[in-house]
Amino acid sequence: MIKCKDLTEEASAYIDGNLSLRKRIAVYYHLLICRPCRNYLQQIRSTIKTVKVSQPKEKGAYDTCPLVKKLRELTGKQD
Amino acid sequence: MKLNLKELDEKTLITDLINGNEKAFELIVSSYHNLMLSVSRAIVGEAFADEVVQDAWISAIKALPKFEGRSSLKTWLLHIVSNGAKSRVRRENRMISLDDGWQSVSSDKFDNTGHRLDEILPWEEATPETLLANDQLQAAIEETFQNLPALQRATLTMYDMEGLKMEEVCNILDISASNARVLLHRARTCLHQCIDTFQDK
Repeated sequence: MIKCKDLTEEASAYIDGNLSLRKRIAVYYHLLICRPCRNYLQQIRSTIKTVKVSQPKEKGAYDTCPLVKKLRELTGKQD
Repeated sequence: MKLNLKELDEKTLITDLINGNEKAFELIVSSYHNLMLSVSRAIVGEAFADEVVQDAWISAIKALPKFEGRSSLKTWLLHIVSNGAKSRVRRENRMISLDDGWQSVSSDKFDNTGHRLDEILPWEEATPETLLANDQLQAAIEETFQNLPALQRATLTMYDMEGLKMEEVCNILDISASNARVLLHRARTCLHQCIDTFQDK
Protein backbone atom coordinates (compact mmCIF):
# COMPACT_ATOMS: atom_id res chain seq x y z
CA MET A 1 0.00 0.00 0.00
CA ILE A 2 1.36 3.41 -0.87
CA LYS A 3 1.69 6.33 1.50
CA CYS A 4 1.23 10.06 0.96
CA LYS A 5 5.00 10.47 0.90
CA ASP A 6 5.31 7.94 -1.95
CA LEU A 7 2.63 9.77 -3.86
CA THR A 8 4.59 13.02 -3.85
CA GLU A 9 7.46 11.17 -5.54
CA GLU A 10 5.22 9.47 -8.10
CA ALA A 11 2.96 12.45 -8.84
CA SER A 12 4.56 13.44 -12.16
CA ALA A 13 4.80 9.87 -13.41
CA TYR A 14 1.12 9.35 -12.54
CA ILE A 15 0.05 12.54 -14.32
CA ASP A 16 2.13 11.69 -17.40
CA GLY A 17 0.72 8.16 -17.53
CA ASN A 18 4.11 6.67 -16.93
CA LEU A 19 3.47 4.29 -14.04
CA SER A 20 3.20 0.52 -14.27
CA LEU A 21 -0.36 -0.78 -14.10
CA ARG A 22 0.24 -2.10 -10.60
CA LYS A 23 1.51 1.25 -9.30
CA ARG A 24 -1.20 3.14 -11.11
CA ILE A 25 -3.87 1.06 -9.40
CA ALA A 26 -2.16 1.56 -6.04
CA VAL A 27 -2.12 5.34 -6.55
CA TYR A 28 -5.74 5.27 -7.72
CA TYR A 29 -6.90 3.50 -4.57
CA HIS A 30 -4.85 5.79 -2.36
CA LEU A 31 -6.47 8.80 -4.04
CA LEU A 32 -9.93 7.40 -3.38
CA ILE A 33 -9.35 7.54 0.36
CA CYS A 34 -6.97 10.52 0.65
CA ARG A 35 -8.27 14.00 -0.01
CA PRO A 36 -4.97 15.84 0.72
CA CYS A 37 -3.26 13.77 -1.98
CA ARG A 38 -6.10 14.44 -4.44
CA ASN A 39 -5.62 18.13 -3.79
CA TYR A 40 -1.85 17.80 -4.11
CA LEU A 41 -2.24 16.21 -7.55
CA GLN A 42 -4.66 18.95 -8.58
CA GLN A 43 -2.04 21.50 -7.53
CA ILE A 44 0.70 19.81 -9.56
CA ARG A 45 -1.58 19.71 -12.62
CA SER A 46 -2.37 23.36 -12.09
CA THR A 47 1.37 24.11 -11.75
CA ILE A 48 2.06 22.52 -15.13
CA LYS A 49 -0.69 24.55 -16.81
CA THR A 50 0.30 27.78 -15.07
CA VAL A 51 3.95 27.47 -16.10
CA LYS A 52 2.89 26.75 -19.67
CA VAL A 53 0.82 29.92 -19.74
CA SER A 54 3.55 31.90 -17.97
CA GLN A 55 6.29 30.90 -20.48
CA PRO A 56 9.25 31.91 -18.29
CA LYS A 57 12.37 32.78 -20.31
CA GLU A 58 16.02 31.87 -19.92
CA LYS A 59 18.11 34.23 -17.84
CA GLY A 60 19.99 36.97 -19.67
CA ALA A 61 17.97 36.84 -22.87
CA TYR A 62 19.73 39.41 -25.02
CA ASP A 63 19.03 41.43 -28.12
CA THR A 64 18.82 39.02 -31.05
CA CYS A 65 18.81 41.71 -33.78
CA PRO A 66 22.52 41.29 -34.61
CA LEU A 67 21.97 37.52 -34.92
CA VAL A 68 19.00 38.02 -37.25
CA LYS A 69 21.12 40.33 -39.41
CA LYS A 70 24.05 37.92 -39.48
CA LEU A 71 21.86 34.93 -40.42
CA ARG A 72 20.11 36.87 -43.13
CA GLU A 73 23.44 37.83 -44.67
CA LEU A 74 24.21 34.13 -45.05
CA THR A 75 21.49 33.80 -47.67
CA GLY A 76 23.17 36.45 -49.80
CA LYS A 77 19.72 37.77 -50.61
CA GLN A 78 18.41 40.91 -49.01
CA ASP A 79 15.37 42.80 -50.11
CA MET B 1 3.03 43.30 -40.30
CA LYS B 2 4.32 40.90 -37.68
CA LEU B 3 4.25 37.28 -38.75
CA ASN B 4 2.88 34.58 -36.51
CA LEU B 5 4.28 31.07 -36.56
CA LYS B 6 0.88 29.46 -36.18
CA GLU B 7 -0.49 31.26 -39.21
CA LEU B 8 2.44 30.41 -41.38
CA ASP B 9 3.20 26.88 -42.50
CA GLU B 10 6.77 25.70 -42.28
CA LYS B 11 7.25 25.34 -46.04
CA THR B 12 6.37 28.98 -46.57
CA LEU B 13 8.62 30.00 -43.70
CA ILE B 14 11.54 28.03 -45.13
CA THR B 15 11.03 29.51 -48.61
CA ASP B 16 10.94 32.98 -47.08
CA LEU B 17 14.14 32.28 -45.15
CA ILE B 18 15.94 31.01 -48.23
CA ASN B 19 14.83 34.18 -50.00
CA GLY B 20 16.30 36.31 -47.23
CA ASN B 21 12.99 37.71 -45.96
CA GLU B 22 13.79 39.79 -42.89
CA LYS B 23 10.47 39.15 -41.12
CA ALA B 24 10.95 35.42 -41.52
CA PHE B 25 14.36 35.63 -39.82
CA GLU B 26 12.94 37.72 -37.00
CA LEU B 27 10.16 35.19 -36.56
CA ILE B 28 12.28 32.06 -36.48
CA VAL B 29 14.86 33.58 -34.11
CA SER B 30 12.25 34.95 -31.71
CA SER B 31 10.38 31.64 -31.74
CA TYR B 32 13.27 29.26 -31.13
CA HIS B 33 16.31 31.09 -29.79
CA ASN B 34 15.28 30.82 -26.14
CA LEU B 35 14.54 27.12 -26.48
CA MET B 36 17.88 26.45 -28.19
CA LEU B 37 19.72 28.37 -25.48
CA SER B 38 17.99 26.26 -22.85
CA VAL B 39 19.12 23.01 -24.51
CA SER B 40 22.65 24.29 -25.04
CA ARG B 41 23.01 25.39 -21.41
CA ALA B 42 21.78 22.01 -20.22
CA ILE B 43 24.45 20.20 -22.23
CA VAL B 44 27.56 22.42 -22.22
CA GLY B 45 26.85 24.75 -19.33
CA GLU B 46 26.69 28.52 -19.20
CA ALA B 47 30.15 29.43 -20.48
CA PHE B 48 29.93 28.03 -24.01
CA ALA B 49 26.18 27.84 -24.44
CA ASP B 50 25.76 31.06 -26.34
CA GLU B 51 28.56 30.32 -28.79
CA VAL B 52 27.13 26.87 -29.46
CA VAL B 53 23.70 28.36 -30.21
CA GLN B 54 25.15 30.96 -32.59
CA ASP B 55 27.05 28.23 -34.45
CA ALA B 56 23.93 26.06 -34.54
CA TRP B 57 21.93 28.87 -36.13
CA ILE B 58 24.57 29.37 -38.80
CA SER B 59 24.71 25.64 -39.61
CA ALA B 60 20.92 25.47 -39.68
CA ILE B 61 20.49 28.40 -42.05
CA LYS B 62 23.18 27.03 -44.36
CA ALA B 63 21.55 23.59 -44.34
CA LEU B 64 18.05 24.94 -44.79
CA PRO B 65 17.76 24.24 -48.54
CA LYS B 66 18.40 20.57 -47.70
CA PHE B 67 15.79 20.40 -44.92
CA GLU B 68 13.45 17.58 -45.88
CA GLY B 69 10.71 18.13 -43.36
CA ARG B 70 10.94 14.66 -41.85
CA SER B 71 10.67 16.27 -38.44
CA SER B 72 9.29 19.65 -37.47
CA LEU B 73 11.57 22.64 -37.92
CA LYS B 74 11.66 23.00 -34.13
CA THR B 75 12.88 19.44 -33.53
CA TRP B 76 15.39 19.77 -36.37
CA LEU B 77 16.85 22.96 -34.87
CA LEU B 78 17.03 21.34 -31.43
CA HIS B 79 18.93 18.37 -32.83
CA ILE B 80 21.42 20.70 -34.50
CA VAL B 81 22.06 22.61 -31.29
CA SER B 82 22.17 19.39 -29.29
CA ASN B 83 24.74 17.82 -31.64
CA GLY B 84 26.85 20.98 -31.53
CA ALA B 85 26.72 21.04 -27.75
CA LYS B 86 27.51 17.33 -27.44
CA SER B 87 30.54 17.60 -29.70
CA ARG B 88 31.67 20.47 -27.52
CA VAL B 89 31.72 18.25 -24.48
CA ARG B 90 32.83 15.06 -26.25
CA ARG B 91 35.20 12.90 -24.25
CA GLU B 92 34.13 14.76 -21.17
CA ASN B 93 32.20 12.25 -19.16
CA ARG B 94 29.19 14.17 -18.02
CA MET B 95 27.70 12.52 -14.99
CA ILE B 96 24.27 13.41 -13.74
CA SER B 97 24.05 12.79 -10.06
CA LEU B 98 20.50 12.19 -8.95
CA ASP B 99 21.40 10.77 -5.58
CA ASP B 100 21.77 14.01 -3.70
CA GLY B 101 19.24 13.71 -0.90
CA TRP B 102 16.57 15.49 -2.89
CA GLN B 103 12.98 15.04 -1.76
CA SER B 104 9.74 16.35 -3.26
CA VAL B 105 8.25 17.43 0.01
CA SER B 106 10.02 17.96 3.30
CA SER B 107 9.94 14.87 5.57
CA ASP B 108 8.47 16.81 8.48
CA LYS B 109 5.19 16.98 6.54
CA PHE B 110 4.68 13.24 7.15
CA ASP B 111 4.35 11.05 10.21
CA ASN B 112 6.66 8.08 10.70
CA THR B 113 4.38 5.83 8.66
CA GLY B 114 4.56 8.21 5.69
CA HIS B 115 1.11 9.74 6.06
CA ARG B 116 0.56 13.45 5.74
CA LEU B 117 0.30 15.42 8.95
CA ASP B 118 -1.17 18.57 7.46
CA GLU B 119 -4.23 19.24 5.40
CA ILE B 120 -3.70 20.14 1.73
CA LEU B 121 -6.29 22.51 0.38
CA PRO B 122 -7.24 22.79 -3.25
CA TRP B 123 -5.91 25.96 -4.82
CA GLU B 124 -8.44 28.67 -5.26
CA GLU B 125 -8.78 30.51 -8.56
CA ALA B 126 -7.06 27.55 -10.08
CA THR B 127 -7.13 28.60 -13.70
CA PRO B 128 -3.65 29.50 -14.90
CA GLU B 129 -4.88 32.78 -16.37
CA THR B 130 -6.27 34.04 -13.07
CA LEU B 131 -3.17 32.89 -11.22
CA LEU B 132 -1.05 34.86 -13.64
CA ALA B 133 -3.11 38.03 -13.33
CA ASN B 134 -0.83 38.49 -10.33
CA ASP B 135 2.38 40.26 -11.51
CA GLN B 136 4.31 39.21 -8.44
CA LEU B 137 3.48 35.58 -9.09
CA GLN B 138 4.56 35.89 -12.71
CA ALA B 139 7.88 37.38 -11.56
CA ALA B 140 8.33 34.67 -8.92
CA ILE B 141 7.70 31.89 -11.45
CA GLU B 142 10.29 33.42 -13.77
CA GLU B 143 12.83 33.69 -10.97
CA THR B 144 12.24 30.14 -9.72
CA PHE B 145 12.49 28.84 -13.28
CA GLN B 146 15.75 30.67 -13.93
CA ASN B 147 17.26 29.31 -10.72
CA LEU B 148 16.52 25.68 -11.61
CA PRO B 149 19.51 23.59 -12.70
CA ALA B 150 19.96 23.85 -16.49
CA LEU B 151 18.97 20.23 -17.19
CA GLN B 152 15.74 20.57 -15.23
CA ARG B 153 14.97 23.80 -17.05
CA ALA B 154 15.59 22.31 -20.48
CA THR B 155 13.51 19.20 -19.71
CA LEU B 156 10.60 21.24 -18.40
CA THR B 157 10.80 23.71 -21.29
CA MET B 158 10.73 21.03 -23.96
CA TYR B 159 8.22 18.65 -22.37
CA ASP B 160 5.76 20.87 -20.48
CA MET B 161 6.03 24.12 -22.39
CA GLU B 162 6.84 23.04 -25.96
CA GLY B 163 5.04 19.71 -25.95
CA LEU B 164 7.92 17.58 -27.27
CA LYS B 165 7.66 13.82 -26.74
CA MET B 166 9.72 12.43 -23.86
CA GLU B 167 11.72 10.30 -26.31
CA GLU B 168 12.77 13.43 -28.23
CA VAL B 169 13.70 15.24 -25.03
CA CYS B 170 15.91 12.30 -24.04
CA ASN B 171 17.58 12.18 -27.47
CA ILE B 172 18.24 15.89 -27.52
CA LEU B 173 19.70 16.01 -24.01
CA ASP B 174 21.29 12.58 -24.24
CA ILE B 175 19.81 11.35 -20.98
CA SER B 176 17.82 8.27 -20.03
CA ALA B 177 14.03 8.37 -19.74
CA SER B 178 14.18 7.67 -16.03
CA ASN B 179 16.59 10.56 -15.49
CA ALA B 180 14.40 12.85 -17.57
CA ARG B 181 11.35 11.89 -15.49
CA VAL B 182 13.21 12.70 -12.28
CA LEU B 183 14.42 16.05 -13.64
CA LEU B 184 10.92 16.94 -14.80
CA HIS B 185 9.37 16.04 -11.46
CA ARG B 186 11.93 18.10 -9.54
CA ALA B 187 11.39 21.12 -11.75
CA ARG B 188 7.62 20.88 -11.37
CA THR B 189 7.92 20.45 -7.61
CA CYS B 190 10.06 23.60 -7.23
CA LEU B 191 7.58 25.59 -9.29
CA HIS B 192 4.69 24.10 -7.32
CA GLN B 193 6.29 25.28 -4.08
CA CYS B 194 6.77 28.74 -5.57
CA ILE B 195 3.12 29.03 -6.65
CA ASP B 196 1.95 27.51 -3.36
CA THR B 197 3.49 30.36 -1.33
CA PHE B 198 1.18 32.75 -3.21
CA GLN B 199 -1.84 30.60 -2.43
CA ASP B 200 -1.19 30.94 1.29
CA LYS B 201 -1.42 34.72 1.19
